[in-house]
Amino acid sequence: MLKVTLRGLMAHKVRLIATAVSVLLGVAFMSGTQVLTSSVSASFDKVFADVYASIDVVVRSTNEVDTPFGPERTRISEAVLPTLVGVPGVEAAEGQVVGQIRVLDKDNQPLVAAQGPPNFGLNWLTSPALNGWTIVDGTSPVAASDIVLDAKSAKEGKYAVGDTVNVSVTNGVQPFKVVGIAKFGKLETWGGAQAALFATSTIQTLVGEPGMYDWISVAGQNNESQTQLSDEISKVIPAGTEAITGAEFTEESQSAFQKIIGIFSTFLLVFALIALFVGSFIIYNTFSIIVAQRTRELALLRALGASRGQVLRSIVLEAFFVGLTASIVGVGCGVLLAIGLNKLMQSIGFSGPDTPIVIPPVAVVVSLLVGTIITLVSALFPARRAATVPPIAAMRDVAVDRSGASKLRVAFGLILLALGAFMLWFGLNGNSDSSLQIIGGGAFFVFIALTVIGPVIATPFASVLGWPLQKASRITGRLARENAMRNPRRTSTTASALMIGIGLVGFIAVTAQSVKASTVDAINQSVTGQYVVTTESFGSTALPQSLAAELDEVAGVRVAAGISATFANINNSGKIILAVDPNAISQVIEFTDVEGSFASLGVGEIAVPEKLAEEKRLKIGDPIQLVFIQGGATTLTLGSIYKTEFPIQGPGWIISTDQFNTLVPPSQQTFLSIYIKLDDTSAVGVDAALPGLKAVTDVVPGAKLQNLNEFKKSQTDQVNQFLQIVYVLLALALIIAIVGVVNTLLLSVYERTRELGLLRAVGMSRRQVRSTIRLESVVISLMGTLIGLVIGIIFGWALVSALADEGITSFAIPWSQLVIIVIIAILAGVGAALYPARRAARLDVLQAISSD
Amino acid sequence: MTTNPSPADTATAAHTENVTKAYGAGDTLVTALDNVSVSFERSKFTAIMGPSGSGKSTLMHCVAGLDTINSGKIFIGDVDLSGLNDKQLTRLRRDTIGFVFQSFNLVPTLTALENITLPMDLAGRAPDQKWLDTIVSTVGLGDRLSHRPSELSGGQQQRVAVARALASQPAIIFADEPTGNLDSRSGSEILQFMRTAVDEFAQTIVMVTHDPLAASYADRVVFLVDGVLVGELQSPTADSVIDRMKRFGA
Repeated sequence: MLKVTLRGLMAHKVRLIATAVSVLLGVAFMSGTQVLTSSVSASFDKVFADVYASIDVVVRSTNEVDTPFGPERTRISEAVLPTLVGVPGVEAAEGQVVGQIRVLDKDNQPLVAAQGPPNFGLNWLTSPALNGWTIVDGTSPVAASDIVLDAKSAKEGKYAVGDTVNVSVTNGVQPFKVVGIAKFGKLETWGGAQAALFATSTIQTLVGEPGMYDWISVAGQNNESQTQLSDEISKVIPAGTEAITGAEFTEESQSAFQKIIGIFSTFLLVFALIALFVGSFIIYNTFSIIVAQRTRELALLRALGASRGQVLRSIVLEAFFVGLTASIVGVGCGVLLAIGLNKLMQSIGFSGPDTPIVIPPVAVVVSLLVGTIITLVSALFPARRAATVPPIAAMRDVAVDRSGASKLRVAFGLILLALGAFMLWFGLNGNSDSSLQIIGGGAFFVFIALTVIGPVIATPFASVLGWPLQKASRITGRLARENAMRNPRRTSTTASALMIGIGLVGFIAVTAQSVKASTVDAINQSVTGQYVVTTESFGSTALPQSLAAELDEVAGVRVAAGISATFANINNSGKIILAVDPNAISQVIEFTDVEGSFASLGVGEIAVPEKLAEEKRLKIGDPIQLVFIQGGATTLTLGSIYKTEFPIQGPGWIISTDQFNTLVPPSQQTFLSIYIKLDDTSAVGVDAALPGLKAVTDVVPGAKLQNLNEFKKSQTDQVNQFLQIVYVLLALALIIAIVGVVNTLLLSVYERTRELGLLRAVGMSRRQVRSTIRLESVVISLMGTLIGLVIGIIFGWALVSALADEGITSFAIPWSQLVIIVIIAILAGVGAALYPARRAARLDVLQAISSD
Repeated sequence: MTTNPSPADTATAAHTENVTKAYGAGDTLVTALDNVSVSFERSKFTAIMGPSGSGKSTLMHCVAGLDTINSGKIFIGDVDLSGLNDKQLTRLRRDTIGFVFQSFNLVPTLTALENITLPMDLAGRAPDQKWLDTIVSTVGLGDRLSHRPSELSGGQQQRVAVARALASQPAIIFADEPTGNLDSRSGSEILQFMRTAVDEFAQTIVMVTHDPLAASYADRVVFLVDGVLVGELQSPTADSVIDRMKRFGA
């Protein structure tokens, strides 16, 4: 039977192309993603290892606050240094200060974009045992106005020793003198990052606080291990500090980065799996059609004495070969894809300088397994059907098409649908830790259920969709409609592949539209100001607090109020804490008092939104303990319970700016955004105020002045950006689905050779043949698209209802986008039919009518 | 661009002039038609007979514009087929030729009636309702007209095929072994139906067959052996056809 299998494989290789392509694409995506993320991860591992290579022991504070940017630690005082130098075995000990600063180019614009590679400001270490940087030109920074640039930044900014370079700091732009250019070992900089080196006291003022270090690096004399040295040091350091080895410190940084890469990798993997899931429909369809076409051959084998098992195995084996081959090629393509993307990332300066491609064996094995198993499983049902072909079928004239409309099918489908719907409901409304997985599983079951029910609804659906075609294009429309209805199982499987992709697109589109509508609604309802100044930076590189005061002075401005943010642990979990001038902010953003008075929130007090107060059972006067990164533990009194429609970041803990400034060092006393209210709020007044405001904000790097409409647009643009990324990732699934449509049409054309020959003989023109195939394709595509969109809208509605508590209060359907999707689907249908239609039209009439 | 090829008022519905058709080359050269000149009279039922491999089907395919020839000329009416491109040939087949094949004559997704009107639907013109009624009543399918081919017997399917060929009132109908797959009773029904079409509606029919009994329904039989026209017979009977066949050593 192996020989029969291999011969069959060779004979049907053209028909198996679509199967191979769909497996290949999915596997390539999957393996490529993993290779890329592993390579990036490995290159950053190396960067961290290089950067911290000279450190034997790190001494730092034990207090840590979780933030979205990773854990942040309290600084350590320079007073600890002398103690360390006295420890036997210590060669050198120096405090390290690292923070974000913005080096500006000669046009006073940031040299590195906010979303680009990281931009560090750090102190120059004087001990050669600890400092990995070497000056290649000029001298090291000593004076307060000295700066040393990494070789890459110097090159990109065209800065040379002796030039003046502007740096954006907390209190505006400050000029520095380039005294040196440095390289890190042989490299121009740390893995693509921008690095600016300053004298310790300078950078402490810029991003930290005087007399304080982020941590203290210790180099040993190499006569004892890092652990021994670390143990020695642990004995002498004060309470609230800890000593860890350089290896542990490196590993900590590496794993923090790996965690971020891991999230990214999982995100991409989800889309790879979606693509493979869609591909499985094409595999299923191809094998079903091949089995149907080979019914007589299989029956002959059975008549000649092949057992059911042998027939089954021969089909499964065929699937195995196809799946394995396609997976191997897919992994190859994935590696090439990763190499290409890596090169691209390097060329835009977003990766390590010498990133070798890392091909994790696990990724290769898993990709091969997934690709092969999906092919096998998808081919299993058709193979089972093949095994049930009775020997007598060899004598029958036509292969029987068993229609798919059985009661069992409907019942099974409905059970799956109910299961999927329940999982969705549970995942969305329950409080389980694995909600996402449950929701994903629910969506999977809903899609499977629709595929199971598909053949039952395909005929009426095709009938309805084809009706206008029949009216419009008469006989070709009529034939196309009938053709789409004649094999409901095939039509529905083909459409299902498209349904999944479109369903997800529709779901994302509806959710995004709802988020956008909710955001715009919230801004409309709560913001009473006319202008907003925002920045994409955080912390020391955000907007200086002085900017609000300057804006306040601009003619026509009634009030300018800023919002700051920092992080603190509340009940041991990191939370974002916002800070405002309560009186000023109340004039530009509506805060309604539920209890207490928001506008008079003072030092020593904190405000919470009504929902949080209810959830935590908080009442006015309750003490709240917050552990800030630098300010230490502080107990504040609950002074206000408020309500606002404004889309506040995080849970909504708010303190006053005065309070904020006592808790964070001056270098962090910045605003994330400033809201401006004018005296004259008429359109004329708003326009008139613009030049004055612009004059103030223009000189602040990274500050973006927007009127309320622009602000709303930029808020929704962020959603659009995410939307575009998801669309690009879903495109692969859609392409595979279209390959499926092409495949089905090709196999149908092959199957209907005689019928096409007859039609041509009795006078159907080539154009009419093409148009028939095209219309059939459009019916199939539309079926997948419309069911997909309905599912997408329902999924979106479910998610939006579940998120009502999170401020997603409006449910909005992006009708124009959905119409565009339908139009694209029609065009894709037409496109998918191009080749099959040409094949059909080119059939030699005589051969077609005499073919068997 | 295209002149609508319509047969002029000539005595013959179709004729060939020194048609030669060969397959292959060199040693494997097979001459399917060798200098064949034949004409098919208007409003007559002509049978083309010959043993297997005599080239009778090839001749029919060539005359019907389904196959190409190496030399000679073929006319449907006074239209020279050699001057037509695929589009014009398609139009010719649709508007002036009717076909009945041995099997697989009907589109499985269309009803019997839709199959009958198919050529007119393809041409985008409305069928002549009166004529259609006449055909339908002659074909005698009654209530089965709304059935799909799979619900009809082989004989019924062939009757629908003949009705389709008649429906567009073509200049000529080509039938390729129309009774080849039928039992003798259904076969004679079909042949009688075709006979009626010639007698009552003055339809021109050319039928390829190897069955002398089928040939006996024709007005005239032409005999083909090894691609060469070897004779003809007017008003044939089954016996006279068998007689003649024997003489050709077939």
